[in-house]
Amino acid sequence: MTSRAIDVDTKRSLINRRLFLRGVGGLTLAAPFLGSLHEARGATSTPPKRLVVFYTHNGCLTNRWFPKVENGSLKASDLTGTLAPLASFTNKLLIPRGFRSMNQFGSGQSIDPHDQACGSKLTCAPLNDDANRYPKAESLDHTIAKLINPNKAAPLVLSVGAASTKIKEIISFSSANTAFPANVNPKTVFNALTFGAGTPTPTTPGSPMTPEVDYRVKRGQSVIDLVRSDLSRLQKQKMSGADQRRIQDWLDLLRDTEVGVGGVGSSGSGSTSTPVACSSETASNLGVTSSALTAASPTGKITPGVFDGGGAPTGSEADKNLATSFTAGGDMMMNLVALNMICDANRVLVLMYPGYVVFNWDGITDTTDHHAISHRTGSIIVTGKCLPGVLDHIDRIDRWYAGKFAKLVGLLDGIQEGGGTLLDSTATLWLPELSDGAAHNLNNLPILIAGSAGGYLKQGAAVNVEGAPIGGGNSDNSCQDGSNKGDTGSTAGNVPINKLYVTLMNAVGCRDNGAKITKFGVMDGRDATPGITNPGEVAALTSSG
Amino acid sequence: MAAAALIAGCTGSIGDPSSESAGAGGGGAIAPSNLGGRTGTSGSSATGSGGTTAGRGPTSAGGSVAGGTNCTPSVPPTSQIPRLTNDEYDRTVRDLLGVTGLTAQNGAAPSSLLATDQAGGLTNVGWSAYKTVAEDIAAQVIADPSLKGKFISCDPGVGTCLHDTVVSFGRKAFRRPLSKDEVAGFDAIIAKGSEITPKGAPSEVAELLLSMFLVSPSFLQREELIDVSDSAGHLVLSSYEVAARLAYMLWGSTPDETLNRAADDQQLKTSEQILQQARRMLGDPKARDRVAAFHRSYMLMGTNTRWDNTNHDSLLFPAFKRDLVGALQKETEMFFDNITFGKRGTFEDLLLSSVAFVSSATAPLYGLDPAKFTANLSETNLDANHPGFLTRLGFLNAYSGYDAASPILRGAFITKQVLGVPIGAPPPGASDARLPDASADLNTNRKRYDALTSGAQCAGCHKSFINPPGFALESFNAVGSFQTTERDTGARIDTSADVTVDPAEAAIHVTGPAELMAAIARSHSAKAQYASKWVSYATGRDSDPGDACTVEQLAAKMMASGYTLLELITDLSQTPAFRIRTVEP
Repeated sequence: MTSRAIDVDTKRSLINRRLFLRGVGGLTLAAPFLGSLHEARGATSTPPKRLVVFYTHNGCLTNRWFPKVENGSLKASDLTGTLAPLASFTNKLLIPRGFRSMNQFGSGQSIDPHDQACGSKLTCAPLNDDANRYPKAESLDHTIAKLINPNKAAPLVLSVGAASTKIKEIISFSSANTAFPANVNPKTVFNALTFGAGTPTPTTPGSPMTPEVDYRVKRGQSVIDLVRSDLSRLQKQKMSGADQRRIQDWLDLLRDTEVGVGGVGSSGSGSTSTPVACSSETASNLGVTSSALTAASPTGKITPGVFDGGGAPTGSEADKNLATSFTAGGDMMMNLVALNMICDANRVLVLMYPGYVVFNWDGITDTTDHHAISHRTGSIIVTGKCLPGVLDHIDRIDRWYAGKFAKLVGLLDGIQEGGGTLLDSTATLWLPELSDGAAHNLNNLPILIAGSAGGYLKQGAAVNVEGAPIGGGNSDNSCQDGSNKGDTGSTAGNVPINKLYVTLMNAVGCRDNGAKITKFGVMDGRDATPGITNPGEVAALTSSG
Repeated sequence: MAAAALIAGCTGSIGDPSSESAGAGGGGAIAPSNLGGRTGTSGSSATGSGGTTAGRGPTSAGGSVAGGTNCTPSVPPTSQIPRLTNDEYDRTVRDLLGVTGLTAQNGAAPSSLLATDQAGGLTNVGWSAYKTVAEDIAAQVIADPSLKGKFISCDPGVGTCLHDTVVSFGRKAFRRPLSKDEVAGFDAIIAKGSEITPKGAPSEVAELLLSMFLVSPSFLQREELIDVSDSAGHLVLSSYEVAARLAYMLWGSTPDETLNRAADDQQLKTSEQILQQARRMLGDPKARDRVAAFHRSYMLMGTNTRWDNTNHDSLLFPAFKRDLVGALQKETEMFFDNITFGKRGTFEDLLLSSVAFVSSATAPLYGLDPAKFTANLSETNLDANHPGFLTRLGFLNAYSGYDAASPILRGAFITKQVLGVPIGAPPPGASDARLPDASADLNTNRKRYDALTSGAQCAGCHKSFINPPGFALESFNAVGSFQTTERDTGARIDTSADVTVDPAEAAIHVTGPAELMAAIARSHSAKAQYASKWVSYATGRDSDPGDACTVEQLAAKMMASGYTLLELITDLSQTPAFRIRTVEP
């Protein structure tokens, strides 16, 4: 029975928000810039493919999350547990079973399992054993962005909650040892879509943007010229390679935003390369209006993550901002994810929900944070007394997240694009930090993919990539009767997640000199030295496999 | 801190001298005796190692000689064009233009709309954010008579006002004079004014100019470009670059008029000239804020940290209330401020002073009579059992369990944060171990923790490093009140311990908190750690092996008696590393 606290009516969002992207069948007109590794597209082309990553922390009650079917086609009636909110999308889901992400326990390192889970998750690389514990390689979102994004723009990495540079709250890394922290203010994200000197953000709900006026265009160009000459002066200086790249990055941004040249958003009137559907009307239809943005954005500080346990909400402004951020804020971020795709501003989009917060919204009133609850004890250690009713506590958070993922999927599936929906062009991945939050295990990860990435991925199926029965894990093993039995982990399901990433890279169109990608990451075991021992995508996950 | 090398999490076997931890990827523990002395004899070439109290020779950049104060200071190569951090952006805009909140965003700080700080190249989101915020600020400044004068002080429609403003404001915004070409570029904007503003009105052109300054790379990046070498072949910063470094180091913000004039007059070339400015700047409230922020970070204070989430059983400790938590933090902040500025004290004073700030509400926790205090925290002196910040209520309360003190929390803080010994993280599962119940044998908190951490896997870190300082602080219960007997059992509390303050030297026997603080105060480790944290904070970079020599020189000064904290902070500007730079590969 779905808890009343979770009120996600995905069907309603389908009906009210069916958007038809206008213009030539809503198709993106051919972009003048084609990254050398991006598939060529014609003028009446299929929509670009996108990767969307929805990331949650602290594992889940795996027994209740996994459908019973481990390998075979899925029906809506198979999604009865935690994933019930996704039942109506079953025919567009792919549940890969048996993947394990990387960590280094077992090779003598004692880095916190959460640091390893986050740092290695999208990098498949070891971490630096220093104060920051950042990984030694860039993350998948950046790798893919360089290959498929217009102008090789950096991926769009968003989070709810407070901005953070802590390893437990970062999964994106623009290069080795360099964190790419998420943006957390919806207004900042929206502004990036409507920028251009003088172009205002919407001032009244639902009103279309002021039509481009000549002076704004000229002003925008003047800004670009001035900044460009400042950067050119810098380019003439003797500087390190890294600094030269920084200058070039900025120059590239200027070029990208120049009127009529592969720009994003509506920075120029009559720009022929901006998708027609990228308009304030579309934004409005998606619910991205001035008042909605304000209501979804923080008024000031947001309560940051709590790592030492404790910290029940006090009703402070920071706590209120946290609640807003997780609810209206996260929903607005989803709208902005959709808008970024519609505007083709980004094809690699990450939305993260941090794990060290005390749930105090949507009918859930916890007094300790999600991380502590996931330990079963309500504290930062996993031994000791079970928190009373802890399995129910975890369950309702798990369902809340399933509801949010369903909301995202429903939103994308409600937008018609070409002959299908926006969802169809994507691989929208629910990627978890851990399997079970108390065991901190990374095998048998509860992963869900929605969308076929333009027909590449299998749909309506669970696929066991390991080949032998895996089982649903043992999350329900402990605290059923109030006693902390401890072992909520499991052992099966150890195919390296690198292979899933390779499959996804190929699905969204990454190629290496025309050939499919065959490997990703630094390691696919617990030891970096052998490198990638099991390359290749997983054919069984593809529509032809 | 580079926690890598020395004690890698105390896993596995200890006392294995042949297993170098070798920085990243290293397994196994290193016996404490292998940590290498201050003379850097261990000679490990582990990447990323060193740079902590052991004074091991830095392995990168500048070829310093390990240990001692005869080392050659080097400068870690960093970017020559670092962008202002969001905090620096807010303070710079506050000091240049008087803007502290965006009226267009209900008073939110300007940086709340900027992209999150990141060290990579500027992104699309970052660039659009700068433009949006620049426009908001410019509109706000022009519209507000109390702010407008900070940008333009003449009538924009009259004569050469706009051109003159470009020159005068540009000097401040770019933290250097504009070149002829740059002025010409802005003059061209003025000339085009009617085409690129709604109505061509002079005030609109003025607003546009301001927003353009605020999105210029020369404003947003703290450039260090001058290409002049000294006789030793180091690249020497220009006066303007020195001024900017001083201002961002001591104020976290842009230079003021006086500093700008000193730069214009080439008065920032010698150490003495720089020292004069540094001293002046330390007297400004902006420096006081910066020092306060440093001490908060040194103590790991902040929203949602242990300090904020302090909570204790008020049935067991009726004098403790949750609403005192703010006051407990404030007392420690006032302590650091008072010792640094009020008393012009030394590092040792931080560890030894009996100054405290007590109110009638917090007095009972100190065992003092509330009637002798007011509602506000006011200065007083405590007895000989209360030397320094580690015996103040804030730290003791934050680093305790709910109903009992925690020698591990307190000891680990002292070991890692104060002494800079890199003990790393506990091995997997360690923090889950349950404290043994009290019994006839285990009749004090100390004995229970001792039993908990006696195993082979634990003793390496706990016996020598973590537990001893924690045991010495068992004189203070969970809420920081002095105690001599265990509450539940009446057993006498033993606060003697053998504390390792310097891994290269023998343990020091202390009988309680006073002797513990005296040992820490005297130690080289604690001073080097404090200096290292300052170097890192002041330069805005993680502690780097290339800074090891600078840290060592400062630590050596701190070992001399009477060397004040203010002198330490000004001396950050006196190291040769302050005036030179190196190039990143």
